[in-house]
Amino acid sequence: MKNLSANDSESGKSKIPVAEGLFHLPSSAEDKPYLIAAKCTQCGYISFPKIPVCPHCAVQDTMEEIHLSGRGKIDSFTIVWSTLPGFEAPSVQSLIKLEEGITIWSLMTGCEASEEALEIGMDVELVIGKVKEDQDHQIVSYQFKPVKNV
Amino acid sequence: MRDVAIVGVGMTRFGKFLDRSPQDLGLEAVWNAIEDANVPMNKIQVAYVGNALGPQLNELKGTIGQHILTNAGFQKIPITNVENACSSGSSALRLACLEVASGNYDMALALGVEKMYTGDSAKAAAAMASGTPYAKLGFTFVAEYALNLKKWMKKNAVTVEHFAKVVVKNTSNGSLNPYAQFRKPLTIEEVLNSRLIANPLTLYMCSSMADGAAAALVCPKSLARKYSSKPLVEVAACELTSGSFPYPGKAPESTTSRTAKIAYEKAGIGPEDVNVAEVHDAMAPAELKIYEELGFCQEGQGGRMIDEGRTTLSGVIPVNPSGGLAAKGHPVGATGLAQIAEVVWQLRGEAGERQVSNAKVGLTQNQGGLVRGDNGACTVTILKR
Repeated sequence: MKNLSANDSESGKSKIPVAEGLFHLPSSAEDKPYLIAAKCTQCGYISFPKIPVCPHCAVQDTMEEIHLSGRGKIDSFTIVWSTLPGFEAPSVQSLIKLEEGITIWSLMTGCEASEEALEIGMDVELVIGKVKEDQDHQIVSYQFKPVKNV
Repeated sequence: MRDVAIVGVGMTRFGKFLDRSPQDLGLEAVWNAIEDANVPMNKIQVAYVGNALGPQLNELKGTIGQHILTNAGFQKIPITNVENACSSGSSALRLACLEVASGNYDMALALGVEKMYTGDSAKAAAAMASGTPYAKLGFTFVAEYALNLKKWMKKNAVTVEHFAKVVVKNTSNGSLNPYAQFRKPLTIEEVLNSRLIANPLTLYMCSSMADGAAAALVCPKSLARKYSSKPLVEVAACELTSGSFPYPGKAPESTTSRTAKIAYEKAGIGPEDVNVAEVHDAMAPAELKIYEELGFCQEGQGGRMIDEGRTTLSGVIPVNPSGGLAAKGHPVGATGLAQIAEVVWQLRGEAGERQVSNAKVGLTQNQGGLVRGDNGACTVTILKR
Protein backbone atom coordinates (compact mmCIF):
# COMPACT_ATOMS: atom_id res chain seq x y z
CA MET A 1 0.00 0.00 0.00
CA LYS A 2 1.31 3.38 -0.92
CA ASN A 3 2.52 5.69 1.82
CA LEU A 4 1.90 9.40 1.42
CA SER A 5 4.95 11.13 2.86
CA ALA A 6 4.66 14.34 4.86
CA ASN A 7 8.40 14.92 4.48
CA ASP A 8 9.41 16.62 1.23
CA SER A 9 12.85 17.86 2.25
CA GLU A 10 14.73 15.47 -0.03
CA SER A 11 14.22 17.14 -3.40
CA GLY A 12 16.22 20.36 -2.74
CA LYS A 13 13.84 22.40 -4.90
CA SER A 14 12.55 25.67 -3.45
CA LYS A 15 9.01 25.69 -2.11
CA ILE A 16 6.31 27.95 -3.45
CA PRO A 17 2.74 28.10 -2.11
CA VAL A 18 -0.01 26.84 -4.42
CA ALA A 19 -1.99 30.04 -3.73
CA GLU A 20 -1.47 33.22 -1.74
CA GLY A 21 -3.52 34.00 1.35
CA LEU A 22 -4.49 30.44 2.26
CA PHE A 23 -1.82 29.48 4.77
CA HIS A 24 1.43 30.56 6.37
CA LEU A 25 4.46 28.80 4.91
CA PRO A 26 7.02 28.37 7.72
CA SER A 27 10.51 29.66 7.03
CA SER A 28 12.24 27.66 9.78
CA ALA A 29 11.68 24.66 12.03
CA GLU A 30 10.49 26.92 14.88
CA ASP A 31 8.10 28.81 12.63
CA LYS A 32 4.72 27.01 12.69
CA PRO A 33 2.26 26.83 9.80
CA TYR A 34 -1.30 28.08 10.17
CA LEU A 35 -4.40 28.54 8.03
CA ILE A 36 -5.53 32.08 7.27
CA ALA A 37 -9.25 32.60 7.83
CA ALA A 38 -11.57 35.49 8.62
CA LYS A 39 -14.01 35.87 11.50
CA CYS A 40 -16.91 38.29 11.76
CA THR A 41 -16.46 40.60 14.74
CA GLN A 42 -20.25 41.02 14.98
CA CYS A 43 -21.68 37.52 14.63
CA GLY A 44 -18.71 35.16 14.91
CA TYR A 45 -19.08 33.60 11.44
CA ILE A 46 -15.78 32.06 10.33
CA SER A 47 -14.74 31.65 6.71
CA PHE A 48 -11.81 29.72 5.27
CA PRO A 49 -10.50 30.85 2.85
CA LYS A 50 -10.99 34.35 4.21
CA ILE A 51 -13.60 36.61 2.63
CA PRO A 52 -14.03 40.36 3.01
CA VAL A 53 -17.78 40.56 3.74
CA CYS A 54 -19.84 38.52 6.22
CA PRO A 55 -22.79 36.86 4.40
CA HIS A 56 -24.88 36.86 7.58
CA CYS A 57 -24.39 40.48 8.72
CA ALA A 58 -24.29 41.70 5.10
CA VAL A 59 -22.33 44.83 5.93
CA GLN A 60 -18.71 45.65 5.11
CA ASP A 61 -15.72 45.83 7.45
CA THR A 62 -16.75 43.24 10.03
CA MET A 63 -14.46 40.41 8.89
CA GLU A 64 -11.13 40.21 10.66
CA GLU A 65 -8.25 37.92 9.74
CA ILE A 66 -7.68 35.07 12.18
CA HIS A 67 -5.27 32.14 12.22
CA LEU A 68 -6.77 28.70 12.67
CA SER A 69 -5.15 26.23 15.06
CA GLY A 70 -4.70 23.52 12.46
CA ARG A 71 -6.08 20.84 14.80
CA GLY A 72 -9.17 18.89 13.89
CA LYS A 73 -10.79 15.56 13.18
CA ILE A 74 -11.51 13.67 9.97
CA ASP A 75 -15.16 14.27 9.02
CA SER A 76 -14.93 12.22 5.81
CA PHE A 77 -12.18 10.85 3.58
CA THR A 78 -11.83 9.11 0.25
CA ILE A 79 -9.03 7.28 -1.50
CA VAL A 80 -8.78 8.92 -4.90
CA TRP A 81 -7.53 6.72 -7.73
CA SER A 82 -8.12 9.17 -10.54
CA THR A 83 -6.49 12.56 -9.97
CA LEU A 84 -5.86 15.61 -12.11
CA PRO A 85 -2.72 15.70 -14.28
CA GLY A 86 0.40 16.27 -12.18
CA PHE A 87 -1.11 15.05 -8.91
CA GLU A 88 -0.22 11.78 -7.20
CA ALA A 89 -2.55 8.79 -7.37
CA PRO A 90 -3.74 7.21 -5.25
CA SER A 91 -4.14 10.12 -2.90
CA VAL A 92 -6.45 10.89 -0.02
CA GLN A 93 -8.91 13.78 -0.06
CA SER A 94 -10.78 14.64 3.11
CA LEU A 95 -13.18 16.92 4.90
CA ILE A 96 -11.62 18.08 8.15
CA LYS A 97 -13.67 19.44 11.01
CA LEU A 98 -11.44 21.99 12.70
CA GLU A 99 -11.39 22.86 16.42
CA GLU A 100 -12.94 26.20 15.49
CA GLY A 101 -16.06 24.36 14.25
CA ILE A 102 -15.72 24.81 10.49
CA THR A 103 -15.29 21.93 8.06
CA ILE A 104 -12.81 22.34 5.23
CA TRP A 105 -11.63 20.31 2.25
CA SER A 106 -8.03 19.08 2.33
CA LEU A 107 -5.58 16.57 0.95
CA MET A 108 -4.25 14.10 3.54
CA THR A 109 -0.63 13.15 3.95
CA GLY A 110 1.55 11.17 6.37
CA CYS A 111 -0.63 8.09 6.07
CA GLU A 112 -1.25 5.06 3.91
CA ALA A 113 -3.62 5.69 1.01
CA SER A 114 -6.02 3.01 2.23
CA GLU A 115 -9.47 2.77 3.78
CA GLU A 116 -8.01 0.82 6.70
CA ALA A 117 -5.37 3.41 7.67
CA LEU A 118 -7.85 6.17 8.44
CA GLU A 119 -11.13 6.57 10.22
CA ILE A 120 -13.76 9.23 10.66
CA GLY A 121 -13.16 11.09 13.93
CA MET A 122 -9.39 10.52 13.84
CA ASP A 123 -7.31 13.44 15.19
CA VAL A 124 -5.36 15.27 12.51
CA GLU A 125 -3.04 18.26 12.36
CA LEU A 126 -1.99 20.79 9.76
CA VAL A 127 1.22 20.34 7.79
CA ILE A 128 2.49 22.11 4.71
CA GLY A 129 3.39 19.58 2.06
CA LYS A 130 4.05 19.14 -1.62
CA VAL A 131 1.08 18.76 -3.94
CA LYS A 132 2.91 19.05 -7.26
CA GLU A 133 6.32 19.81 -8.70
CA ASP A 134 7.45 21.86 -11.64
CA GLN A 135 10.96 22.02 -13.04
CA ASP A 136 12.31 24.36 -10.38
CA HIS A 137 9.82 24.28 -7.54
CA GLN A 138 7.94 22.17 -5.11
CA ILE A 139 4.42 23.53 -5.13
CA VAL A 140 3.21 23.22 -1.55
CA SER A 141 -0.18 23.51 0.08
CA TYR A 142 -1.86 22.99 3.41
CA GLN A 143 -2.60 19.34 4.14
CA PHE A 144 -3.57 17.31 7.19
CA LYS A 145 -1.87 14.30 8.73
CA PRO A 146 -2.95 11.92 11.47
CA VAL A 147 -1.70 12.83 14.93
CA LYS A 148 0.37 9.89 16.11
CA ASN A 149 -0.91 8.57 19.41
CA VAL A 150 1.98 8.35 21.86
CA MET B 1 -46.37 37.99 -15.67
CA ARG B 2 -47.62 35.81 -18.52
CA ASP B 3 -47.91 32.01 -18.42
CA VAL B 4 -45.11 30.42 -20.45
CA ALA B 5 -45.15 27.24 -22.53
CA ILE B 6 -42.38 25.17 -24.06
CA VAL B 7 -43.50 24.90 -27.67
CA GLY B 8 -40.58 22.88 -28.97
CA VAL B 9 -37.50 20.94 -27.88
CA GLY B 10 -34.61 19.31 -29.71
CA MET B 11 -31.26 17.76 -29.00
CA THR B 12 -28.37 15.88 -30.54
CA ARG B 13 -27.36 12.45 -29.42
CA PHE B 14 -24.79 12.76 -26.60
CA GLY B 15 -21.45 11.06 -27.15
CA LYS B 16 -17.92 11.31 -28.41
CA PHE B 17 -17.97 13.10 -31.75
CA LEU B 18 -14.40 14.12 -32.55
CA ASP B 19 -15.40 15.45 -35.98
CA ARG B 20 -18.21 17.73 -34.72
CA SER B 21 -17.83 21.37 -33.62
CA PRO B 22 -19.93 23.32 -31.10
CA GLN B 23 -21.48 25.16 -34.09
CA ASP B 24 -22.43 21.90 -35.74
CA LEU B 25 -23.93 20.44 -32.53
CA GLY B 26 -25.78 23.66 -31.72
CA LEU B 27 -27.25 23.91 -35.22
CA GLU B 28 -28.71 20.41 -35.03
CA ALA B 29 -30.32 20.99 -31.61
CA VAL B 30 -31.76 24.40 -32.57
CA TRP B 31 -33.25 23.22 -35.85
CA ASN B 32 -34.65 20.09 -34.20
CA ALA B 33 -36.43 22.39 -31.72
CA ILE B 34 -37.66 24.66 -34.51
CA GLU B 35 -39.08 21.70 -36.42
CA ASP B 36 -40.60 20.25 -33.26
CA ALA B 37 -42.32 23.58 -32.50
CA ASN B 38 -43.40 24.17 -36.08
CA VAL B 39 -42.35 27.80 -35.56
CA PRO B 40 -40.87 29.78 -38.48
CA MET B 41 -37.25 30.50 -37.59
CA ASN B 42 -37.71 34.25 -38.12
CA LYS B 43 -40.29 34.32 -35.30
CA ILE B 44 -37.50 33.70 -32.76
CA GLN B 45 -36.77 37.07 -31.18
CA VAL B 46 -34.21 36.44 -28.45
CA ALA B 47 -31.74 33.70 -27.45
CA TYR B 48 -29.77 32.56 -24.41
CA VAL B 49 -26.93 30.11 -24.91
CA GLY B 50 -25.53 28.00 -22.07
CA ASN B 51 -21.96 26.78 -22.38
CA ALA B 52 -19.42 26.17 -19.62
CA LEU B 53 -16.08 24.91 -20.90
CA GLY B 54 -15.83 26.35 -24.42
CA PRO B 55 -13.34 29.07 -23.49
CA GLN B 56 -10.99 26.39 -22.13
CA LEU B 57 -11.54 23.53 -24.54
CA ASN B 58 -12.67 24.90 -27.89
CA GLU B 59 -11.04 26.91 -30.60
CA LEU B 60 -13.54 29.73 -30.22
CA LYS B 61 -13.08 31.32 -26.82
CA GLY B 62 -15.84 33.91 -26.75
CA THR B 63 -19.36 34.84 -27.94
CA ILE B 64 -19.94 31.14 -28.55
CA GLY B 65 -23.71 31.65 -28.73
CA GLN B 66 -23.36 34.20 -31.53
CA HIS B 67 -20.99 31.92 -33.44
CA ILE B 68 -23.39 28.99 -33.16
CA LEU B 69 -26.55 30.92 -33.96
CA THR B 70 -25.19 32.94 -36.88
CA ASN B 71 -24.01 29.62 -38.31
CA ALA B 72 -27.58 28.36 -37.80
CA GLY B 73 -29.02 31.29 -39.79
CA PHE B 74 -29.77 33.89 -37.14
CA GLN B 75 -28.94 37.59 -37.32
CA LYS B 76 -29.72 40.78 -35.41
CA ILE B 77 -31.56 39.24 -32.46
CA PRO B 78 -30.25 39.73 -28.90
CA ILE B 79 -28.05 36.76 -27.95
CA THR B 80 -26.62 36.36 -24.46
CA ASN B 81 -24.15 33.75 -23.32
CA VAL B 82 -24.82 32.02 -20.00
CA GLU B 83 -22.19 30.27 -17.90
CA ASN B 84 -23.33 28.54 -14.69
CA ALA B 85 -21.11 25.44 -14.83
CA CYS B 86 -23.19 22.23 -15.13
CA SER B 87 -26.42 24.21 -14.76
CA SER B 88 -25.71 26.59 -17.65
CA GLY B 89 -28.42 25.05 -19.86
CA SER B 90 -31.25 25.35 -17.35
CA SER B 91 -30.04 28.84 -16.39
CA ALA B 92 -30.38 29.81 -20.06
CA LEU B 93 -33.92 28.39 -20.09
CA ARG B 94 -34.84 30.44 -17.04
CA LEU B 95 -33.77 33.66 -18.76
CA ALA B 96 -35.68 32.75 -21.92
CA CYS B 97 -38.79 32.10 -19.78
CA LEU B 98 -38.41 35.46 -18.04
CA GLU B 99 -38.20 37.26 -21.40
CA VAL B 100 -41.53 35.72 -22.38
CA ALA B 101 -43.23 35.94 -18.99
CA SER B 102 -42.35 39.62 -18.73
CA GLY B 103 -43.92 40.38 -22.09
CA ASN B 104 -40.61 41.51 -23.52
CA TYR B 105 -40.68 38.95 -26.35
CA ASP B 106 -43.07 36.33 -27.71
CA MET B 107 -40.63 33.64 -28.83
CA ALA B 108 -37.38 32.88 -27.00
CA LEU B 109 -34.74 30.24 -27.61
CA ALA B 110 -32.64 28.53 -24.94
CA LEU B 111 -29.71 26.47 -26.17
CA GLY B 112 -27.12 24.48 -24.23
CA VAL B 113 -24.01 23.20 -25.95
CA GLU B 114 -20.78 21.56 -24.88
CA LYS B 115 -17.88 20.08 -26.81
CA MET B 116 -15.67 18.14 -24.36
CA TYR B 117 -13.92 15.50 -26.49
CA THR B 118 -11.00 17.23 -28.13
CA GLY B 119 -8.51 14.36 -28.12
CA ASP B 120 -7.14 15.45 -24.74
CA SER B 121 -9.27 14.08 -21.91
CA ALA B 122 -6.84 15.27 -19.21
CA LYS B 123 -7.41 18.82 -20.40
CA ALA B 124 -11.19 18.32 -20.18
CA ALA B 125 -10.87 16.92 -16.65
CA ALA B 126 -8.77 19.91 -15.61
CA ALA B 127 -11.27 22.30 -17.22
CA MET B 128 -14.15 20.74 -15.27
CA ALA B 129 -12.35 21.27 -11.95
CA SER B 130 -11.09 24.73 -12.85
CA GLY B 131 -14.25 26.50 -11.63
CA THR B 132 -13.11 25.93 -8.06
CA PRO B 133 -10.02 27.46 -6.43
CA TYR B 134 -9.28 24.05 -4.90
CA ALA B 135 -8.44 22.56 -8.30
CA LYS B 136 -4.89 23.86 -7.86
CA LEU B 137 -4.71 21.92 -4.59
CA GLY B 138 -5.73 18.61 -6.16
CA PHE B 139 -9.50 18.79 -5.67
CA THR B 140 -11.68 16.66 -7.95
CA PHE B 141 -15.47 16.67 -8.27
CA VAL B 142 -15.73 12.89 -8.00
CA ALA B 143 -13.88 13.04 -4.68
CA GLU B 144 -16.17 15.83 -3.48
CA TYR B 145 -19.22 13.67 -4.21
CA ALA B 146 -17.48 10.69 -2.58
CA LEU B 147 -16.72 12.64 0.62
CA ASN B 148 -20.30 13.80 1.02
CA LEU B 149 -21.93 10.52 -0.04
CA LYS B 150 -19.72 8.56 2.34
CA LYS B 151 -20.98 10.62 5.28
CA TRP B 152 -24.54 10.39 4.02
CA MET B 153 -24.52 6.62 3.45
CA LYS B 154 -23.18 6.01 6.95
CA LYS B 155 -25.90 8.17 8.49
CA ASN B 156 -28.70 6.55 6.49
CA ALA B 157 -27.56 2.91 6.35
CA VAL B 158 -27.16 3.09 2.58
CA THR B 159 -24.73 0.64 0.97
CA VAL B 160 -22.73 0.46 -2.25
CA GLU B 161 -25.35 -2.01 -3.49
CA HIS B 162 -27.92 0.77 -3.28
CA PHE B 163 -25.53 2.94 -5.29
CA ALA B 164 -25.12 0.23 -7.91
CA LYS B 165 -28.89 -0.23 -8.17
CA VAL B 166 -29.24 3.41 -9.27
CA VAL B 167 -26.77 2.77 -12.09
CA VAL B 168 -28.57 -0.45 -13.04
CA LYS B 169 -31.87 1.46 -13.27
CA ASN B 170 -30.38 4.39 -15.19
CA THR B 171 -28.39 2.31 -17.67
CA SER B 172 -31.49 0.18 -18.26
CA ASN B 173 -33.40 3.40 -19.08
CA GLY B 174 -30.48 4.68 -21.16
CA SER B 175 -30.48 1.49 -23.23
CA LEU B 176 -33.94 2.56 -24.47
CA ASN B 177 -32.87 6.13 -25.31
CA PRO B 178 -31.47 6.74 -28.80
CA TYR B 179 -29.97 10.04 -27.56
CA ALA B 180 -27.89 8.36 -24.81
CA GLN B 181 -24.10 8.04 -24.98
CA PHE B 182 -24.10 4.59 -23.32
CA ARG B 183 -26.78 2.10 -24.30
CA LYS B 184 -25.57 -1.02 -22.53
CA PRO B 185 -27.55 -2.00 -19.44
CA LEU B 186 -25.21 -2.83 -16.55
CA THR B 187 -25.58 -5.33 -13.70
CA ILE B 188 -24.90 -4.68 -10.02
CA GLU B 189 -21.75 -6.81 -10.31
CA GLU B 190 -20.47 -4.90 -13.34
CA VAL B 191 -20.98 -1.60 -11.53
CA LEU B 192 -19.30 -2.72 -8.31
CA ASN B 193 -16.44 -4.44 -10.13
CA SER B 194 -15.60 -1.49 -12.36
CA ARG B 195 -12.48 0.35 -11.23
CA LEU B 196 -12.54 2.62 -8.21
CA ILE B 197 -12.37 6.36 -8.96
CA ALA B 198 -12.78 7.64 -5.40
CA ASN B 199 -14.03 5.24 -2.71
CA PRO B 200 -16.86 4.27 -2.72
CA LEU B 201 -17.50 5.53 -6.25
CA THR B 202 -16.62 3.25 -9.14
CA LEU B 203 -16.23 4.17 -12.80
CA TYR B 204 -19.77 3.20 -13.81
CA MET B 205 -21.27 5.32 -11.03
CA CYS B 206 -19.73 8.45 -12.56
CA SER B 207 -21.14 10.34 -15.52
CA SER B 208 -18.94 10.65 -18.57
CA MET B 209 -17.85 13.74 -20.41
CA ALA B 210 -19.67 14.11 -23.71
CA ASP B 211 -20.30 16.30 -26.73
CA GLY B 212 -23.85 17.44 -27.31
CA ALA B 213 -26.44 20.16 -27.50
CA ALA B 214 -30.07 20.61 -26.48
CA ALA B 215 -32.57 23.41 -27.09
CA ALA B 216 -36.03 24.62 -26.12
CA LEU B 217 -38.33 27.25 -27.58
CA VAL B 218 -40.62 29.13 -25.22
CA CYS B 219 -43.57 31.38 -25.93
CA PRO B 220 -46.65 32.67 -24.12
CA LYS B 221 -49.06 29.83 -23.34
CA SER B 222 -51.73 31.70 -25.28
CA LEU B 223 -49.60 31.62 -28.46
CA ALA B 224 -48.38 28.03 -28.35
CA ARG B 225 -51.46 26.61 -30.06
CA LYS B 226 -50.91 28.89 -33.03
CA TYR B 227 -47.84 26.84 -33.95
CA SER B 228 -47.99 23.41 -32.42
CA SER B 229 -50.74 20.85 -32.23
CA LYS B 230 -48.79 18.73 -29.75
CA PRO B 231 -49.89 18.51 -26.10
CA LEU B 232 -49.17 21.86 -24.51
CA VAL B 233 -46.41 21.88 -21.88
CA GLU B 234 -46.50 24.80 -19.48
CA VAL B 235 -43.57 26.05 -17.40
CA ALA B 236 -45.07 26.14 -13.90
CA ALA B 237 -41.76 27.22 -12.33
CA CYS B 238 -38.13 27.61 -13.35
CA GLU B 239 -36.14 28.67 -10.30
CA LEU B 240 -32.46 29.24 -9.62
CA THR B 241 -30.47 29.71 -6.42
CA SER B 242 -26.83 29.81 -5.41
CA GLY B 243 -25.08 28.33 -2.36
CA SER B 244 -25.33 29.28 1.29
CA PHE B 245 -22.76 29.43 4.06
CA PRO B 246 -23.88 28.32 7.52
CA TYR B 247 -22.34 29.14 10.87
CA PRO B 248 -19.80 26.66 12.24
CA GLY B 249 -21.62 23.67 13.68
CA LYS B 250 -24.89 24.38 11.84
CA ALA B 251 -25.98 21.83 9.26
CA PRO B 252 -25.66 23.19 5.71
CA GLU B 253 -28.94 23.63 3.83
CA SER B 254 -29.01 21.79 0.52
CA THR B 255 -29.29 24.02 -2.53
CA THR B 256 -31.58 21.42 -4.11
CA SER B 257 -34.02 21.48 -1.16
CA ARG B 258 -34.03 25.26 -1.11
CA THR B 259 -34.58 25.62 -4.85
CA ALA B 260 -37.25 22.89 -4.93
CA LYS B 261 -39.18 24.57 -2.13
CA ILE B 262 -39.26 27.84 -4.08
CA ALA B 263 -40.29 26.03 -7.28
CA TYR B 264 -43.07 24.03 -5.58
CA GLU B 265 -44.47 27.19 -4.02
CA LYS B 266 -44.39 29.09 -7.28
CA ALA B 267 -46.02 26.23 -9.20
CA GLY B 268 -48.58 25.48 -6.50
CA ILE B 269 -47.53 21.86 -6.92
CA GLY B 270 -46.08 19.55 -4.28
CA PRO B 271 -43.58 16.70 -4.63
CA GLU B 272 -46.47 14.23 -4.29
CA ASP B 273 -47.90 15.61 -7.56
CA VAL B 274 -44.74 14.99 -9.62
CA ASN B 275 -45.10 12.07 -12.06
CA VAL B 276 -41.63 12.04 -13.66
CA ALA B 277 -38.28 13.69 -12.91
CA GLU B 278 -34.88 14.18 -14.48
CA VAL B 279 -32.24 14.89 -11.81
CA HIS B 280 -28.55 15.74 -11.73
CA ASP B 281 -26.89 12.38 -11.07
CA ALA B 282 -23.39 13.50 -12.09
CA MET B 283 -22.38 10.67 -9.78
CA ALA B 284 -25.37 8.30 -10.01
CA PRO B 285 -25.57 7.50 -6.26
CA ALA B 286 -26.30 11.17 -5.53
CA GLU B 287 -29.72 10.48 -7.05
CA LEU B 288 -30.75 8.77 -3.77
CA LYS B 289 -30.01 11.90 -1.77
CA ILE B 290 -31.80 14.03 -4.37
CA TYR B 291 -35.01 11.93 -3.89
CA GLU B 292 -34.98 13.14 -0.30
CA GLU B 293 -34.03 16.73 -1.12
CA LEU B 294 -36.85 17.00 -3.67
CA GLY B 295 -39.34 15.51 -1.20
CA PHE B 296 -40.03 12.35 -3.23
CA CYS B 297 -39.53 10.48 0.06
CA GLN B 298 -38.81 11.25 3.70
CA GLU B 299 -35.25 11.94 4.82
CA GLY B 300 -33.38 8.67 5.23
CA GLN B 301 -35.63 6.78 2.80
CA GLY B 302 -33.55 7.24 -0.38
CA GLY B 303 -32.14 3.70 -0.22
CA ARG B 304 -35.60 2.24 0.27
CA MET B 305 -36.86 4.10 -2.83
CA ILE B 306 -34.42 2.21 -5.05
CA ASP B 307 -34.88 -1.11 -3.17
CA GLU B 308 -38.60 -0.95 -3.77
CA GLY B 309 -38.24 0.09 -7.40
CA ARG B 310 -40.30 3.22 -6.84
CA THR B 311 -38.24 5.26 -9.34
CA THR B 312 -38.09 2.78 -12.25
CA LEU B 313 -39.99 3.50 -15.48
CA SER B 314 -43.04 1.70 -14.07
CA GLY B 315 -42.61 2.98 -10.50
CA VAL B 316 -44.72 5.58 -8.71
CA ILE B 317 -42.24 8.36 -9.51
CA PRO B 318 -39.92 7.43 -12.39
CA VAL B 319 -36.60 9.28 -12.08
CA ASN B 320 -34.15 9.75 -14.94
CA PRO B 321 -36.13 7.89 -17.61
CA SER B 322 -33.59 9.23 -20.12
CA GLY B 323 -30.81 7.31 -18.35
CA GLY B 324 -29.71 10.38 -16.42
CA LEU B 325 -26.25 11.82 -16.65
CA ALA B 326 -24.67 8.43 -15.92
CA ALA B 327 -26.06 6.75 -19.06
CA LYS B 328 -26.93 9.71 -21.27
CA GLY B 329 -23.55 11.43 -20.83
CA HIS B 330 -22.87 14.85 -19.34
CA PRO B 331 -21.93 17.57 -21.85
CA VAL B 332 -22.13 20.05 -19.01
CA GLY B 333 -23.67 23.13 -20.67
CA ALA B 334 -26.24 21.01 -22.54
CA THR B 335 -27.33 18.76 -19.67
CA GLY B 336 -30.00 21.03 -18.16
CA LEU B 337 -31.81 21.48 -21.46
CA ALA B 338 -31.55 17.78 -22.31
CA GLN B 339 -33.38 17.12 -19.04
CA ILE B 340 -36.06 19.57 -20.18
CA ALA B 341 -36.34 17.89 -23.60
CA GLU B 342 -36.82 14.50 -21.93
CA VAL B 343 -39.53 15.74 -19.57
CA VAL B 344 -41.36 17.50 -22.44
CA TRP B 345 -41.32 14.25 -24.45
CA GLN B 346 -42.51 12.30 -21.41
CA LEU B 347 -45.39 14.73 -20.77
CA ARG B 348 -46.41 14.64 -24.42
CA GLY B 349 -46.23 10.83 -24.55
CA GLU B 350 -43.46 10.90 -27.18
CA ALA B 351 -40.71 9.09 -25.27
CA GLY B 352 -40.93 5.82 -27.16
CA GLU B 353 -39.76 2.68 -25.39
CA ARG B 354 -38.88 4.59 -22.22
CA GLN B 355 -42.29 6.33 -21.95
CA VAL B 356 -43.70 6.46 -18.42
CA SER B 357 -47.45 6.14 -18.12
CA ASN B 358 -49.70 9.18 -18.13
CA ALA B 359 -47.35 11.78 -16.69
CA LYS B 360 -48.98 15.20 -16.16
CA VAL B 361 -46.34 16.93 -14.04
CA GLY B 362 -42.59 16.68 -14.57
CA LEU B 363 -39.61 18.14 -12.74
CA THR B 364 -35.96 18.73 -13.58
CA GLN B 365 -33.14 19.43 -11.12
CA ASN B 366 -29.78 20.64 -12.44
CA GLN B 367 -26.85 21.77 -10.31
CA GLY B 368 -23.43 23.15 -11.04
CA GLY B 369 -20.13 24.26 -9.66
CA LEU B 370 -18.60 24.35 -6.21
CA VAL B 371 -18.23 27.67 -4.46
CA ARG B 372 -16.95 27.77 -0.89
CA GLY B 373 -18.16 24.26 -0.19
CA ASP B 374 -21.62 24.58 -1.72
CA ASN B 375 -23.14 24.45 -5.23
CA GLY B 376 -22.52 27.47 -7.38
CA ALA B 377 -25.96 27.16 -8.95
CA CYS B 378 -29.00 24.93 -8.74
CA THR B 379 -32.16 25.08 -10.84
CA VAL B 380 -35.46 23.29 -10.39
CA THR B 381 -38.00 23.47 -13.21
CA ILE B 382 -41.57 22.18 -12.99
CA LEU B 383 -43.46 21.48 -16.21
CA LYS B 384 -47.10 20.47 -16.53
CA ARG B 385 -49.48 19.59 -19.31
